[in-house]
Amino acid sequence: MIARITLIVLGVLTGAYGALLVWENPPVIIVRIVVWALVGIVLHDLVFAPLCVALGFAGRRLIPGKWWPPIAVAAFCSVVLVFLALPVYGKPGLRPDNMTVLDRNYPLGLWISLAVVWACVPLYYLAARLLPVRQDEVVEQQGAGDVKPQPPAV
Amino acid sequence: MKTATLRDTAVTARVGLWLGVVVAVCFVTGLISHFIQHPQPWFFWPTRPVWLYRVTQGLHVISGIAAIPLIIVKLWSVWPKLFERPIIGGPVRQIERLSILVLVGSMLFQLSTGLLNIAQWYAFKFFFTTSHYAMAYVAAGAVLVHIGVKLPIIRRALGEPVDDTPVFVGPTRRTVLRGAWLAVALATVVTAGQTIPLLRKVSVLAPRSGQGPQGVPVNRSAIAAGVLRSARSPDYRLTVTNGATTRTFAVAELAAMPQATRRLPIACVEGWSADAEWTGVVLADLVAAVGGSRDSDVRMISLEPPGPYSRTVVPARHARDAKTLIALKLNDQTLDLDHGYPCRLIAPTRPGVLQTKWLTRIEVVP
Repeated sequence: MIARITLIVLGVLTGAYGALLVWENPPVIIVRIVVWALVGIVLHDLVFAPLCVALGFAGRRLIPGKWWPPIAVAAFCSVVLVFLALPVYGKPGLRPDNMTVLDRNYPLGLWISLAVVWACVPLYYLAARLLPVRQDEVVEQQGAGDVKPQPPAV
Repeated sequence: MKTATLRDTAVTARVGLWLGVVVAVCFVTGLISHFIQHPQPWFFWPTRPVWLYRVTQGLHVISGIAAIPLIIVKLWSVWPKLFERPIIGGPVRQIERLSILVLVGSMLFQLSTGLLNIAQWYAFKFFFTTSHYAMAYVAAGAVLVHIGVKLPIIRRALGEPVDDTPVFVGPTRRTVLRGAWLAVALATVVTAGQTIPLLRKVSVLAPRSGQGPQGVPVNRSAIAAGVLRSARSPDYRLTVTNGATTRTFAVAELAAMPQATRRLPIACVEGWSADAEWTGVVLADLVAAVGGSRDSDVRMISLEPPGPYSRTVVPARHARDAKTLIALKLNDQTLDLDHGYPCRLIAPTRPGVLQTKWLTRIEVVP
């Protein structure tokens, strides 16, 4: 209990110091900072998360069970790649006087990395079939079709 | 067909633990960078190993990027709680919700502004460094409160196995965790090449390839600094002062002094870094030429018109270090204008922003 109280008190003090530092800005800047943080939450909770739910829901119906794990992981990796590509893809921060920033072909980089990620899906599937596996993983890979029908009731 | 409940505290606690570790690394390395730039009497920053800032600031950006996939999984695992009843509830419930609001808001703020800053995309209309610094405390505080509140749940969840129910079809909680680690590795590989030379070729989304004039990238160009004419003027002189003693040096006079060559990294606050060979006059020799003390701080003044980084102070420990140079050459060529021609400071373990370029005046601080 002491550990919990210490953490909470320390956290409140640290956070209050941060709030004080934010407070030193002119009101218009404080508003911009707060709005930026709130927009992040709204975008996540009301756009990104529901979109993921919809995709997952559709995916479950369209994709055979044993393909879900690699496809779900590949989809997640793709989302991360797209997030990382956002600030560099169209080079919005480029300034003509400095060609050492944003000096890669980002569209090409993004597409290649996405291709590599998705190429791993069939490779994973193959490896999972060919490599020796543990017993529980055998069970994991079984779909509805692998389960034998119940013996007839005598 | 049995599928696992994937959004489970077993997943949340494990991803949360790693997120906590990564955020702690990011916070501490960020504070280090802040206090090097805004020195406090209690703060000690050594001159060795010379690559120390390269590592701490590289870690700052790498850990920040690694936090992105982790926070996505963490938020995904708890998102349904947003709609748990009672939606509003009593005061305790409201305080809990408010603390989560602050936690998520400040974390997303830090990660998004940091990511935009390393790509120099200033889509936000507030000053990056001060707001990123202030919100770091808000985020760190919110993390501490959150851990304090959730400690019993975290302890219980970490003590339980990840997969307690056998799963017949589809992803398991273990799949989610493996996916998270994999995404962290991927995010690191595609960006960390600007810090880790070994990854340069595969870091396809890094804001910098590591290329630049004389093999070193640039953060502030001579055009941006407005020094195109003054830096190339034939009347250029470097003035070195210590109280009433003043000496001036033309570029040829600096080049005629004993030259030293040092291998030192230039490491930017934005996380990129590059090793290079610098040649020039040892700063301590110039300080000695005007009779300055080895225990004095030394102020560097740039030709760049007054701004946040046109003047910096080199602490005595760095100023007397034999590796600290007023460099005239980079990788065996006369300094490129964008690298600070006619001469610039290069010292061990300092952020690039404090390695003042286009020097016009060096003052021994009494």
